[in-house]
Formats: sequence, structure tokens, C-alpha cells
Amino acid sequence: MEEKFHSAKESGLSDAELFTHIENDKLASEKITAPRYSYWHSVFRTFFKNKFNIVILLLLAAVILMAFVYPMVSSYDPYANLMDSTSKHLTPAAALQKYGFSIHWILGSGDAGQSTFDAIWYGARISIALAVVCAVINMTIGVVLGAVWGFSKRVDQFMTVVYNIVGNIPYTLLISVLVMLFSPSFWTMVFALTVIGWIGIAYFFRTQVIIIRDREYNLASKCLGTSTFRIAMRNILPFMISLIVTLAAAEVPSYISYEVFLSYIGMGMSSEYSSLGNLISAAESAMVTPGWEIEFWAPVAISAVISVVLYVAGQNLGDAADPRTHM
Amino acid sequence: MAKYILKRVLFGIFSIVVVVGIVMIMIYSILDRNLIFAQDTNYSKTSNNRRTTYSMEQWEKYGYLDYVTYSDYLTALRNDGEIDEDTRATAVKLGYTAESDSDLTAQYTALFTEYYESQGYTVVRLDAVMAGKRLADGGTAALYAYKDIPVTTRLLEYFLNMFHVDNIHYVEENYPDADIGEIGLTFTLYDPVYGGEKFSPAIMGNGTEYKYLLYFTDSFPYIHQNLFTINLGLSYTVNRGEEITITMTKSQGSYVYSTVLYPTGLVEESANDLHSARYSYQSVTGESSLALYTDRFTDDYSNVQTVKSGLSRMGYSFIIGIIATILAYALGLPLGVLMARRKEKFADKLGTFYIVFISAVPSLAYIFMFKSIGGSILGRTYTTFTTEVIDWRYYVLPVVSLMLPSVASLMKWLRRYMIDQMNSDYVKFARSGGLSESEIFSKHILKNAVIPIVHGIPGSILGAMTGAFITERIYTVPGVGGLLITAIQKYDNGVIVGVTVFYAALSVVSIIMGDVLMSMVDPRISFTEKAR
Repeated sequence: MEEKFHSAKESGLSDAELFTHIENDKLASEKITAPRYSYWHSVFRTFFKNKFNIVILLLLAAVILMAFVYPMVSSYDPYANLMDSTSKHLTPAAALQKYGFSIHWILGSGDAGQSTFDAIWYGARISIALAVVCAVINMTIGVVLGAVWGFSKRVDQFMTVVYNIVGNIPYTLLISVLVMLFSPSFWTMVFALTVIGWIGIAYFFRTQVIIIRDREYNLASKCLGTSTFRIAMRNILPFMISLIVTLAAAEVPSYISYEVFLSYIGMGMSSEYSSLGNLISAAESAMVTPGWEIEFWAPVAISAVISVVLYVAGQNLGDAADPRTHM
Repeated sequence: MAKYILKRVLFGIFSIVVVVGIVMIMIYSILDRNLIFAQDTNYSKTSNNRRTTYSMEQWEKYGYLDYVTYSDYLTALRNDGEIDEDTRATAVKLGYTAESDSDLTAQYTALFTEYYESQGYTVVRLDAVMAGKRLADGGTAALYAYKDIPVTTRLLEYFLNMFHVDNIHYVEENYPDADIGEIGLTFTLYDPVYGGEKFSPAIMGNGTEYKYLLYFTDSFPYIHQNLFTINLGLSYTVNRGEEITITMTKSQGSYVYSTVLYPTGLVEESANDLHSARYSYQSVTGESSLALYTDRFTDDYSNVQTVKSGLSRMGYSFIIGIIATILAYALGLPLGVLMARRKEKFADKLGTFYIVFISAVPSLAYIFMFKSIGGSILGRTYTTFTTEVIDWRYYVLPVVSLMLPSVASLMKWLRRYMIDQMNSDYVKFARSGGLSESEIFSKHILKNAVIPIVHGIPGSILGAMTGAFITERIYTVPGVGGLLITAIQKYDNGVIVGVTVFYAALSVVSIIMGDVLMSMVDPRISFTEKAR
């Protein structure tokens, strides 16, 4: 600094030439010159800063495209080749030889002569739909009730008792009773998975709400006369967004996993819904049969890929949604 | 503290009762009760009226309803001395239809109907089913009354019968016309099972349910008792007529033969365990007793368990579960610490990858993956568990499969808690005081971060007893994990209720123990009212 000052002096210019006088602008002085902060803008900037996330998003897009758009444009009938005994349990090479090169046969065929490739994407569509519907219902009920549960001490006492009791009911039993009562259809499954599924999420949010409910800034808000609803919406909900996203990201794969488990023990959806779980349990014996392994590993691998992609994308979006990472 | 724990225990018992109530409503009231016959061959063999009465008998046996037949009613009247045997024998003959009853029968059927309808029963008269001029198979006319047992009564009876203390009036109460001889307890210093020469004290009973109430053996825990038993209910289809506690705890595998000296003096190579002798009505003293029993036993205590080489269902589950739990803590905790110390470095990223893999991939998928990888390293034989051969390699794959998710969750949470602690003021203070990083981590951060982890330890130890369904099914371990699911699949209500009680009790106990353990580790946590 010192050096520069000297050189400016030495350049021989007077002060009037170096500086210009500016009028006092009252309007401009009112403006805050900090960069504009938009929450969601920052979330996505943080999210896309990590190039890995772009790869994950592309994978997610590919999975969704295959699971939801591919079944629309290609027709798939699992029983089309039922009578043709030469079409069953073909390896990819044999299937391609039999039918000529086509995307349907790159993974071979299953025990009804159906295309494994088509089967896994139809299965993925049902499984993803089930998981997303269940996650949306459970998250909505869970977050809303969890917030009430955390805010009201009277509700807290009552709900804690309910939670302690409901938590001891074997979940598998409840689901199987519901599945036995109604037909094991898609919506029965949704009902079974959501009827008490929300309570764990609500409990989680209840704890989070209690942690920040009595923080000083909420107390200050309350003193200034802010309504409870506004405190909940403006002070507490933004704090929860990253938690909601993180939890939702873990919930969706957990329902895919649970559906696989239920089908495996024979309490999932009926076989007309060829979900990933049904495919895996139907092909269990194929795992140990030489030449048939791909029928088993293809749905397993696809359920793993879907779950990992959804999980990682959600976790990273959850991290990006935390304002503390926006610095 | 003691008062607090007592309060928690009482609340725990309350919640177990409520849970059992809910489960009972679900399976006894909501579900179609005909489902229990889905795999019953006796049911499918019977037809017509016999099928209806058979259903009633079974429903009564498994606690759905109270069922009284017309002939039971007449027998009771005879026993009370109200009618004589001739009247009973005549009146018991029902006509093909109500109109064709004899006068005497009509008189008593009217009495029967009137009496039971006034008691709130539903009285049903089934007319004979004819095939041409003859009675159809199982088509005999029937008259009975039944009343559904309300959930509250069933719940109360279930819990009253749960803790059973054996007493010398057991036979009298349950089999009024049994001839048992003089009832009472005897104390002997020389157990007759060992030939009456070896010194081995035993308390034996006559009139009790078990013959040996207290005795010594050579095997752990050396002193055994049959005085107090926990009765979780009877199995219907899983193990027909067997108690659930026995299903869970009896040994499996092949018979272990030893020289057995029977009460009659017969000496034989046998797997029978005479110490487990239970009363079996008229098995020896009855008129049609089998030589199998009369050759060996001198009294009706002839229902014995057998000694087998393997462990029980719960034994296998517990052994595998407990090894997996210990290894999970031994591996998960250091790895979690390592991840927190090398935050954002390679070790942390590798650990995170593992955690993501385990949390996201369906457990079925990675256990299968692990089975095929493990099978190719250890050999295919060791992927199928067997009770016949004792070899540690059979345990490797189930234990590791069970351990994988627990390690991941321990790593995840310990890392999270440690990183949260790393920014605390006390850590900054310790650092400014010149403590080395490893000292800060081991002496300050770990001690604080491990507190929430401690809470889960009792849960994971007790949880080992409940088994793991997928692992046990994939490696064919004969454990307890599949019991609930098998029971659901076979519509075995008794087992469902029994297993629910077992699970709920374990979960209540482990939460209470977790809280107590946590308050022992962290003196800041106190459950007494004052400190709050």
C-alpha cells in the first residue's frame, strides 16, 4: 500500500485528477450490496458443484426412463411363449441366436419363456411406484404429525404411549394379516406398508422439533407475537428440509427392499404383479442352476442399482439442502 | 432409580398386554377362522356334519369358542345324578330330523336348548345328511351349543395360564377320573434314574404334571427344575399340539443314545430323557395302553423328551446371533472411529461406500451375493448349515451375513456422533490445552460419542435370541427366526401369539436395560424426577 501511494504521488497527478467527488445518494445508501441469496438456487449450486452428482442424476434418469417409458413403448406379455418349450431358460447367447438381435433378449429368457430384460423393467416400474407412493404417504403423515407431536406436550404424552405399544407389534404379522384380509393387490400393499409405517418417521421428526422448538430465535419470534403456525412454517420447516430429503432418500429404497423381503416370504403382492420381489423369489431356485443364474441376478442387480442411485442422489441432495453447506 | 425402573417395568408389562390384545383381535376376530384348517388333513378327510363338529372341536381347543355337545350335556346330567344311565342312553339318540326325535329325546333337547340359549349360547341342530337311503359319510345328526370367547376373557386367561407352577393337584384338577394313587412329594438322595445308587438328590412328585421337579445332571447348568414353567400357548400346525416354549427350546438333530434304566427295570439303549417325564393320561394304567409304555413305565408319567445331538432352535439362533453381535461391535466401533478421524479422506470414503451399499441394497440381494462369494472361497458345502457335523466353517457365512448390516449401522452412527462432538467447545479447549489428537479422540470424543451406542447393546444381545429370518432361511439354519413367519403362513394362532409375547418382552426388557446401562455409563443422565 505504502509503495503504491508513493508511486501515485510521484506520477505527478494532483488529487483532483485522481479522485472525483460523488453526491451523497440517499437511495443507494439504503441498498444492501450483499449478493442475493436464494435458498433453492444455493441448494442446486452446491448439489451440481459435485460432478459425481451429475453422473448419479443421469443414471437415475436412465432408470426412470427404462422403468416408466420403456414399458409404454414396448409390449410385453410374460406368457406369450408359454407353450414353446424351446424358449425357456435360455442364456443371452442362445436367446439372441433364436430370436435374432433384439434388445428384449440381451438377458436371455425365464421359466415361462419370457424376456428377462422386459421382466425386470416391468418389475422395476411396479416396485418403484410402490416405494414412491408409500414414501410420499408416510413422509406426509409422518412430518405433519411429527411436528404436532413435537409441539404439543399433551399430544406428546399420548403419542409416546402409542409409539411404545405399536412398536412392539410384529410388523410382518400386521402386514400379513392385512394381506390375508384383502386381496394381495398393489393398493393393499400400500395400505399395509403405510398403516403404521408413518409412526417411526413421526417419532423422528418429533425429536427434531423438540430439539429446535425451544431455541432462542423461536422464543424471540414468539415474544414478538408470531403465531405458532407461522413459527412452524417459517422458522422450523426450513430447518427440516434437509432432514426430510435425507430421510425420504432412505425411505424409498427401504420400501423396495421390504417389498423384496415380503415377496420372498410369500406375503407380497400376488403373482400377477410381477414386481422385483416376485421376480427374485420366483427365480430363487434358478440361482443354483448352471446357465440360469442370470434370471436371478438380473432382478437382484437392478433392485440394487435403483436403490443405490435413489439413495445416493437423495443423500447428496439432503446434504446440499442443509444451509450450512452453502458457504 | 429403583422406583423409576419399577414404573418402567409395569408400563412395559402393560404395553405387552395391549400388544397381545391387538394381535389377538387381529388373528382371532378379524381373520377368517376357517383359515386354520388350510393344512389340516383331518379336516379335509371329514365331510358333512362331521366336518362342522370337527371344526367346532378344534376351535374350542384353540380358544376361539366354548363348545358343548348334546351328549356332553347328558353325560354331565348323569354324573350329577339327575338322570340314570338308561335315560341317558335313550335320550342321546337323535333322530334324523328334529321331528323324528323320540319323546324322551325331544324332552331333553328342549331342555338343552332352553338352558344354553339362556346362557347366551347359540344352539345348532344339524339334520342328518342322507345319501340315498343310508346316512352319508359323516352325516349323523348333531346338536350342539357354542359361544364365542370375548377377547378380554381370552387375554386374561392367556396371561393367567402363562406362569405355571407345578403342584400336586395338577392331575386331580385336569383329569378328575384319573387314578393316580397317593399324591404328594417325595425327596430322595439317590435319583432312581441313575439306578438308585449314585448320590444325586431329587424332588419327585405324584399328582404333579412333571415327575421330576428338581434334579441334578452332569450337564450345564447341573441343577434343573420343572417346577416353574412358562406357557406361551399351544401350537396348532407348526408342531401339532406342542407347547411353543418346547418348540423353541428342545434339541434338534439326530438321537443321542445312552443306557437308560426304566422304572420297570428294563435297560435299553435309548435317547429318552427320563427326567423330562410328564403326566400322560392313562398311557400306562389305561385299558388300551400300548406295550411301548407298559414295558417301560410303572406309572402314567411316560411322556418324555428325547436327547438329540444338536442345539435347540433358539440355541442355534442365539449362538450365531451373539457371535455376530460381538464381532460387529469389535469391528464396527474401531472402523467408525477410523472414519471419523480420517474424515473426507480415503478411509472415510471407502467406509461411506460400504454403508451406502448395505443401506441401499435389499438385504436379500447382498446375502445372496455374499453366499455365492463365500461359497466359492470356503466351498459349496459350507453354505448349507447342518446340525450333524460340528465344524466352525458352517458358522462363518451365517455369522458374517448377520454381521454386515450391524457393522454398517455402528460405523454410520459412531462416525456421525464423533463428528458432531468434534466441533464442541470442550474439544477445542482440550486442543488449545495441547493434548494430542489421538488423546482427544480416545479420551474425550469417543467417551461422549459412545453413549448413544451403549443404549443399543442390550437390545442387540437379546435380539440375537429372536433369530434372523433371511439369513437362517438362506443358509438353512434350523433357528427360531422363521417361527413367526412359518406360523403366519400356516395360520398357527397359538404360535403367533406366543412369539409376539416373546418378542415384545425382549424388546421391553432391552429398552429398559439400555436406559439403565446408559445412565451407568454417563452420570449426567439420570432418570429420577428430581434431576429432571
